[in-house]
Amino acid sequence: MRPAWRILLGKELLDVTRDRRTLVLTILLPVLLYPGMLLVMGAIISAGTQRLKNEPLTIAVVGPSTAALLARKPVPPKTTFEPKERAQAEALLRDQKLAAVVQAPADAEARLQAGQQVVVTVLYTKRFDRSVEALDRMRPMLESINNDALKVRLDARGLEAGFVQPVKGEPVDLEFQKDLGPLIASRLLPIILLTMLILGALYPAVDLTAGEKERGTLETLLVSGARPVDVMAAKYLTVSAVAVVTALANLLAMAATFGFGISLGPANMTFQLHPGQVLTMLACLVPAALLLAGISLTVASTARTFKEGQSLMSPVMLACLAPALLSQMPGVELNSLTALVPLLNVALLIKASVLGNATAPQVLLTMGSVLVFALIALKLAATAFNSEIFRFGGTEGWRALFGRSKSSSTQSDQR
Amino acid sequence: MAAVIEVEGIVRDFGATRAVDQVSFGVEPGEVVGLLGPNGAGKTTTLRVLAGLLTPAAGRTRINGVDVQVEPLAARRQLGFLTASTGLYERLTGREMLQTFGRLQQLDEETLAARIAALTDELELQGFLDKRCGAMSSGQKQRINIARAVVHDPLAYVLDEPTATLDPLASRDILELVQRAQARNKAVLFSTHRMEEAEYLCTRLLFMRGGKVVARGTSAELLAQSGKQKLTDAFLHYAGGAA
Repeated sequence: MRPAWRILLGKELLDVTRDRRTLVLTILLPVLLYPGMLLVMGAIISAGTQRLKNEPLTIAVVGPSTAALLARKPVPPKTTFEPKERAQAEALLRDQKLAAVVQAPADAEARLQAGQQVVVTVLYTKRFDRSVEALDRMRPMLESINNDALKVRLDARGLEAGFVQPVKGEPVDLEFQKDLGPLIASRLLPIILLTMLILGALYPAVDLTAGEKERGTLETLLVSGARPVDVMAAKYLTVSAVAVVTALANLLAMAATFGFGISLGPANMTFQLHPGQVLTMLACLVPAALLLAGISLTVASTARTFKEGQSLMSPVMLACLAPALLSQMPGVELNSLTALVPLLNVALLIKASVLGNATAPQVLLTMGSVLVFALIALKLAATAFNSEIFRFGGTEGWRALFGRSKSSSTQSDQR
Repeated sequence: MAAVIEVEGIVRDFGATRAVDQVSFGVEPGEVVGLLGPNGAGKTTTLRVLAGLLTPAAGRTRINGVDVQVEPLAARRQLGFLTASTGLYERLTGREMLQTFGRLQQLDEETLAARIAALTDELELQGFLDKRCGAMSSGQKQRINIARAVVHDPLAYVLDEPTATLDPLASRDILELVQRAQARNKAVLFSTHRMEEAEYLCTRLLFMRGGKVVARGTSAELLAQSGKQKLTDAFLHYAGGAA
């Protein structure tokens, strides 16, 4: 005879693999999402950048001194300079009828001749992209005017160009100078993988507990030859399996997408996931799936309906996502302390793995920490499933769940 | 004859409210005992305690001599439990439902196959046994649900308002189930609000009100005790607490 939990696990897996919503969420979404999302995103960014380059822009020129200064160089392509008063130009810029406003001091020419500095103001706003593009067109023009004036001054004194800047710093990014792929992946993967892992656990957890209560199938199970702990074990393993498959499908789909390489404007973005990196990520994602399965089953088991379960899951999702977001904060890195914080350690390990920084002790510490918390979550889930709150729901909720569970239930049970 | 279903002095509270108060009764093989009473009388709580879904504050329940609170799994192997709200897994076929619940009741594969075959004939499941439950009509679902409840051929049947949401045609399946069970010497505890069903099926009746059994006996005895001509009037008499 097979143990009850195995019979139930077979039933749960059969049931869940026939659920279109679960299949869409776990397999179809990642397979289509990443290539679609990243390629479309790349195409949109490229097209947007190109469109801005070709967009005719009008830039206000305040005062004849500004016009004279700018006349030293050709007008940038697709750009028109229009003389305006400063106040009027500012108003038009706020109304998005102008892309930018340029103003040099009235004595600009005299200051240049006298060897003094001329400060040229470029008014723009980040509120609309055309204005930022106008700034981008003005920068090289003003730089060119500056270089010409500088050359005249240096030539007059018989000096070299290096005289002005005796020491020039030139940063060279050893890893990502030519390819931003790993950097972008290290930012995206922790958030996306944890999000999908959480989604992969939460939906089936609600469906298999609160959903079953609502459909009346839970009572059917609990009066059969299965103990609550058997029911819990089967659901726990099912939720964990769905979460792991979701994370794995996302990981592979993302690896495949990055493997082809994505162009985001001028920057190259290619990224290859090596088997070692995939194994490292799985080493932390599987325990994380167990942890999330325990948490989500515990919380969902207190709900009476699917809708109520979904409401309860919103704060759970936010709480579980917070560590993923925290992992992107400057200065937050995987160390012996952060490796003990559940989910934050998973996000940081994924990040470190993508960047090639993960070490074996960090992997083991992260796995061990998450597994300990997963065991606590499993114990909580077992307590929840043994309580009458799980069987029929109840307004006494958490207090009854962790306290006097034996005699706690609701007035609604009293019929 | 020893009772298959035994309820002895059970008490169950919900917070400050006593839902079931010192309820005792037994159901012998071949008996169909009707549990009657208004909403909130404590019928469902009594049946849930009997099925081991709720723990009593005091008292005992036994199925075929097995203490439900001490050995719930062994007790449930002797129990077929059916309510109006017990559902089916919509994505499983009828056969998969019966196989799953039969295996949970520790039936070996040979016995299980024989039981499914017997129930298929008895409940006329042939046309839809391999259909997914979600694609079945409500009548077909009801029959699968009955088969699910009795796939392990239990000695005791506990039916909690099983016809509450059914039309007369679907209710007929339940009534026939009870009659067949009685003919096979099963002990049946049947909770209902439908007096005509109770009068038609039950060998004995228990009236509950406020968590207590306020009257018990055969239909004729209860009519005589209440001084009423019809069971519905007797129900109103006991439910209202009138003299």
